[in-house]
Amino acid sequence: MVRMRVALSGLITCALLIGATPVQGHHSFAMFDQGAQVTLVGTVASFEWTNPHAYIFVDVPDGSTTKHWTIELGSTSILQRGGWKFNTLKKGDKVTAVINPLRNGDAGGLLSRITLPDGRALGNGGPPPAAGAPARGAAPGGAAPGGTAPQR
Amino acid sequence: MRIARMQTRIAVLTAASVLTVIATQNEPLAQAAPNMTGSWAPMQGGRGGDPKTAPPAATPLVLKAEYKAKYDKQRAADAEATKRGEPPASAAVLCNPYGMPRMLSVASYPIEILQTPGQVTIITEAFSEVRRVYMDQPQQPIDEVPPGYYGHSVGRWEKDTLVVDTVGIKESVPGYQNMPHSDRMRITERIRMVTPDVLHIQLTIDDPVVLEKPVTFTYGYRKMPGYKMVEFVCENNREYIDAEGKVRMRLGAGPAK
Repeated sequence: MVRMRVALSGLITCALLIGATPVQGHHSFAMFDQGAQVTLVGTVASFEWTNPHAYIFVDVPDGSTTKHWTIELGSTSILQRGGWKFNTLKKGDKVTAVINPLRNGDAGGLLSRITLPDGRALGNGGPPPAAGAPARGAAPGGAAPGGTAPQR
Repeated sequence: MRIARMQTRIAVLTAASVLTVIATQNEPLAQAAPNMTGSWAPMQGGRGGDPKTAPPAATPLVLKAEYKAKYDKQRAADAEATKRGEPPASAAVLCNPYGMPRMLSVASYPIEILQTPGQVTIITEAFSEVRRVYMDQPQQPIDEVPPGYYGHSVGRWEKDTLVVDTVGIKESVPGYQNMPHSDRMRITERIRMVTPDVLHIQLTIDDPVVLEKPVTFTYGYRKMPGYKMVEFVCENNREYIDAEGKVRMRLGAGPAK
């Protein structure tokens, strides 16, 4: 089942303006809608611990079929400093991932928070946003490949 | 008589030169230079740092009129595209390394400095970029340096400051604040530990073709004792520029098919 919580309210827009540093890294993250969130409850199909980004592939039941989601994370350096390891996830793990979805509607997004099978929550390099927290861009020092890059 | 005096003068000068060379060779390197070896975390905009050791503000970037109009237009277009949710289709999407000088300030990625006899090496964590600074050598003429991402760097110590001169940066390597630059660009760095834990790299970019006047800016870093640099190979870049020039993300596990 896919639980979608798309938040595009004025409140969120304000939060974006006043609270969050737009995520930047080796490229712009404008393709992700950082004012929106999608919550995915599914099973890890694979986990790629790579650069410039790590990726989680999650199979999410969608009616009688399964939808395959591609979730982008930060780089391994940034993730490592945020508590991740190369073996944090493995095939078959049941996870709940909150993502900022791709604007074009494809089944992909940028990780905001993930809850692991053991109940631990991780963010995208920075500390995980609180469960149920509204979309607010990404935490400074968080998503890929890490915080703001002022010269970009 | 005159010839004899000249011979004496030459002999004295030669002896002095030999003594200087001997003195230089015997000078213990470790005592002459501060020890900057280790990993350093950037303090972006002074974030996380003591205000007393925060880097000073940059001087204004002043481009010559013929470059300014195009530069301003591109900056505005990129900002508009980003607002529309369309990332600018830049070299960054292709996962190219940064090159000089931007490699020195990539988000929160550390840099590592290694001091060895005759050379200072600067390695960045993002993209594993490497610069080699050759100590106490004359700089090569710009036209003799093959244009590249890091150019040719020579350095010398001025008391506690490592002064580095770099030329030969390829014009396609994006410049400071995305400024355009010519093959005449020269970068002068003054690298200094302002405290045992804080390093400043002051950069001055001079480009007589593009800039009205040199621009100077400073990056601050905090020491990361014991930190082990993480490898960074751009092997899984899923961003690409489609036929319409828009940035997209490749979906699905595994390598591109």
